[in-house]
Amino acid sequence: MNKKFFSLLLFGFIAIAQLQAQKAQAVKVRRIDTVAVAILDKMSAMIGDLGSCSVTVKSNYDVTSKELGLIKHSDEEHLYLHGPDKLLLKSEGDRGSRDLYFDGKTLSYYSLDRNQYGQIEAPASLVEMIDTVSRRYGIEFPAADFLYPTFVDDILADSKELVYLGLTTIDGKECYHIAGMGTDKSFQFWVSDDAFTLPMKMVIVYTTKPMNPQYEAVLSDWQVNPTLPDAMFDFSIPLKAKKVKLVPLTAKN
Amino acid sequence: MQKSFKYTYVVIATVLGLAIAACPQQGMAQRFSHGGGGGGFSRPAPAARPAAAAPRQEARPAPARPAPEARPAPEARPAPEARPTINGGGRNVGNHDFNRTNVNAHANVNVRANINVRDNVNVYHTGAYRGIHPYNYHPYRPYYWGPHWHPLGFFLASLAADATWFNFNNQRYYYDDGCYYLPSNGGYSVVPPPVGAVVPSLPDGYETTMVGNDTYYYFGGAFYVSTDQGYQVVVAPPGAVITELPTGAVDQQVNGEDILVYNNTYYQPITQDGQDAYEVVPGPGQ
Repeated sequence: MNKKFFSLLLFGFIAIAQLQAQKAQAVKVRRIDTVAVAILDKMSAMIGDLGSCSVTVKSNYDVTSKELGLIKHSDEEHLYLHGPDKLLLKSEGDRGSRDLYFDGKTLSYYSLDRNQYGQIEAPASLVEMIDTVSRRYGIEFPAADFLYPTFVDDILADSKELVYLGLTTIDGKECYHIAGMGTDKSFQFWVSDDAFTLPMKMVIVYTTKPMNPQYEAVLSDWQVNPTLPDAMFDFSIPLKAKKVKLVPLTAKN
Repeated sequence: MQKSFKYTYVVIATVLGLAIAACPQQGMAQRFSHGGGGGGFSRPAPAARPAAAAPRQEARPAPARPAPEARPAPEARPAPEARPTINGGGRNVGNHDFNRTNVNAHANVNVRANINVRDNVNVYHTGAYRGIHPYNYHPYRPYYWGPHWHPLGFFLASLAADATWFNFNNQRYYYDDGCYYLPSNGGYSVVPPPVGAVVPSLPDGYETTMVGNDTYYYFGGAFYVSTDQGYQVVVAPPGAVITELPTGAVDQQVNGEDILVYNNTYYQPITQDGQDAYEVVPGPGQ
């Protein structure tokens, strides 16, 4: 009886000691790697200086299914931007074939599969348009994070950890690899180690969502300051296309 | 007739629903929190699927920060004419408030608990320890900062009359011309600068280096920041570029590259403005 009692007591002490040790380990200092910040700064500065650009974004993303777990989807999108207020996005993949045109006043959505289009008035600047349309209508744009002038500040505000891991290769191109941990996600960026310092890849893991879905995007075929005619951002209503109303998120809910 | 009308209504509603579903859908919140209250990466899940109801960024808070276009435009640059940029050109480079709390209501950014994921970040790629500047080997030539400067471990029977002393971590340190001494064997031995200690001045010959927007001072293998009380010893900041390493640095082969290690700090040989230099890089496990 005494043996059992002392064994239990000993076990209790060990358990408490382990808990204390875990607690002590948990209280750590937030670490931000200045090299990682400098690389992201350089990348953000480069994007901020672009007058126009085009890039191909191949993305994979998880959709959570209660029955099947994480279902992987993919899209390939071609994004054309012309400052300060023009955008063209041509997208193909699991969400179908669709185009988005923004000419500085109107955002036009066109589904090639359904031959339907919808239009909404949007703010003039690209970033504001992307932000507003995303918030109100749930229309998302690939690689939009990188376009925000506050990109690095936003990352820092949400990062528990941000570290530069070293150099690695993406599609044959040497890249800086940066990893971070936010409040509800972990993320990684790969930034090209060349004169342009452009984003080449990103991965986000949603650590607080069930099954931890991921988003991965590989950015390729970057064209820096290409000549993009204004006409390519003008939407012409295709023959027999049916007009649909783009419904704000609140109305959907 | 009324039944037919109802049927038509249902069909219209269904078509409208499909149209909405065909639209770019609400994302699965796979984006960072930007000031505008939304922003970030787009990777919407098909809305028609049940899973599309995954938590959208309904928590997207109101834009607490100024809208991006309110940022200073790049017209300030001496460009002959303002060229429109894709995001207005305004950004904050190297001047970050590292303690800024999250504007999107992520409370308590700086005091994190349970940071266990970081402990597993030990997978450094080939080329780890490398900094922003490309590796560029050049021979290591130990440097001496004048006749009064001595390398680590150097023994002196007595100190110069103008040496000062200070107590730090329950120890009495002596400081003279950029060197730190502790009493040893009846004399004084040079020891690594204690991180956190403050000295009133630095000797001639120190160099300055910028990391981001922060200025660091470097002398005799030690880094300092300027404070109201004087110059405080700090841990070598990754990204700092310096031109000379003291004697005592050890060459370490990392992935076929020569990295110099001095006082537990890793220095990568680089070339800056045509001159041999070293960049502080993260060490293993850092």
